[in-house]
Amino acid sequence: MTLLSVENLSIQFETPDGLVHAVNDVSFQIGRGETQALVGESGSGKSQIALSILGLLAKNARTSGKILYNGRDLLAMSTRELNKIRAKEIAMIFQDPMSSLNPYMTIERQLNESLELHEGLKGDAARQRVIEVMDAVQIPDAKNRLRSYPHEFSGGMRQRIVIAMALLCNPKLILADEPTTALDVTVQAQIMRLLEDIRRDFDTSILLITHDLGVVAGACEDTLVLYSGKVMERAGTRALFAEPQHPYTRGLLRAVPNIHDDDGELHAIPGQPPNTMRALTGCPFAPRCVDAVDACFATVPELTGETRQRACIRPVEELT
Amino acid sequence: MLQYTFRRTIAVLPTILCLIVICFFLMRLAPGGPFTSERPLPPAIMANVLERYGLDQPLYVQLFTYLKNIFFNFDFGPSFAQRDRDVNDIIAAGFPVTLTYGFWSAVFVLVLGIPLGVIAALRQNSFWDYVMTGFAIFSQIFPNFVLAPLMVLTFTLALGLLPGGGWNGGQWEYVVMPAVALGTSYLANVARITRSSLLEVLGSPYIRTARAKGLPERTIMIRHALKPTLLPVISYMSPVFVYMITGSVFIDVFFSTGGIGQSFIDAAYTRDYSVILGLAILYSVLTFVLNLAVDLAYAAIDPKVRSGLK
Repeated sequence: MTLLSVENLSIQFETPDGLVHAVNDVSFQIGRGETQALVGESGSGKSQIALSILGLLAKNARTSGKILYNGRDLLAMSTRELNKIRAKEIAMIFQDPMSSLNPYMTIERQLNESLELHEGLKGDAARQRVIEVMDAVQIPDAKNRLRSYPHEFSGGMRQRIVIAMALLCNPKLILADEPTTALDVTVQAQIMRLLEDIRRDFDTSILLITHDLGVVAGACEDTLVLYSGKVMERAGTRALFAEPQHPYTRGLLRAVPNIHDDDGELHAIPGQPPNTMRALTGCPFAPRCVDAVDACFATVPELTGETRQRACIRPVEELT
Repeated sequence: MLQYTFRRTIAVLPTILCLIVICFFLMRLAPGGPFTSERPLPPAIMANVLERYGLDQPLYVQLFTYLKNIFFNFDFGPSFAQRDRDVNDIIAAGFPVTLTYGFWSAVFVLVLGIPLGVIAALRQNSFWDYVMTGFAIFSQIFPNFVLAPLMVLTFTLALGLLPGGGWNGGQWEYVVMPAVALGTSYLANVARITRSSLLEVLGSPYIRTARAKGLPERTIMIRHALKPTLLPVISYMSPVFVYMITGSVFIDVFFSTGGIGQSFIDAAYTRDYSVILGLAILYSVLTFVLNLAVDLAYAAIDPKVRSGLK
């Protein structure tokens, strides 16, 4: 059953220098209890997609398309309506735990305020729930740390607090925006396991946004590869890793350093990410693509296919 | 916190002692003295006068006598220029005046300046934002010595609403114009600082986190944004407070309030050693007290500072 359906979402920003096309015509669905990965390099618009779901885009953003949550269009909702959904139905785990917590408020206050708002929990009942969630994300000695401030925690602990914050009201959907970027690898694995447990235990859907292919490989059933705000390829994660069918995905996977494939080289995709100040006139990846032909620059490729989709005008067999 | 306050208070005593000693010698270095005049006094009378004020003693003896009187009797000595008055009297007469209009000026600055800045930030680039910016520029090109005469022209001479000077025991009509004239340029700065501080806070990730919780905008403003917004305002206000309650020489002279600023100028002209020293000590104690108050206010708001105090 589809929980969230993003349909033809485009996001532009009005800037003094002109319109920035951050997201171009992106569509995807997340079913109940599913994990969908959104992969792309920085600037590919993946965070903006998550922010648009909760109506948290910057003021100068213009959106088009639909984001249907249980059949209701989130993009068309007023802030008042959105406030009933935020944290309660859809919660977000922000990247950068250093600045996402208010440095002037105790952890307890920052956690219990959404309980108070959405569940009407106060006093001891709220405290109980806060401690429960802090235990769940493995913050040691939760009971005695309630009155601490963010700066008294390490980066990893702060990230757990940010995650705990998202779990408080048992949301149906969690938007995890680079939840592990600020952490070292061992903690990263713990956090990913934690998210997986939550998904299994509560049938929560997760939209995992990351640039880290390693994180995706272990955690998600389905992966969407984004480039310059446009979907390049969508497939089951296993299939995508086994045989990537888009030149960009291939480049990405080749760029992951592999300890077994010891040719001593680091493979990068040549060229620079494109300028988003122009509307798309062709495939955004064409200037960096080894397989590009003239036609690639002239038409914007459609996303085609059934079980797995790709946006490339060249047949898979002809790719190098 | 209490311990911190206590430690700071103890630590300031040697500072003030140094200050007294330095001021004491600096004043004596300046040519002239309280009793030099164009027509010199006969030597016998001069010797008499000097003896009466203890000026015939060696400097170090004078200094010790002075310090002894302060620490044991809280007596800052007689005025050298104004017969029959001592420094305690002069401060007791002038300081309440400046304290009164300085206090109201600070109230005026904060009560108007902070909301103005908040409105300008919330309606960024709107009509009210431009009005606020315009007002800030206006108050910079109309410093108090231009503003005060303009106010007297308007409210006293043209409209007849407020008295143009005097104090009359601090009745409100007499306080309004000194307080407003003194505060206006600070008001504009406070509004400007509040505006930019709030804009920065509202753009910060933790406010976005608060929004993602579904909190109403009002709650976000009061619970999440207020404290960090006020920090730069507090920093700015700390020296301004001292300046305000110790009075502005210009305000005292222009509105004839009889405030302490006037006494300072008079004392400097007449080489009234004891008054100058007494006022310097008053200023430094006030500076210390207000700095401490600001540091404590900072600690009350910022938990990082608080844990640093322990």
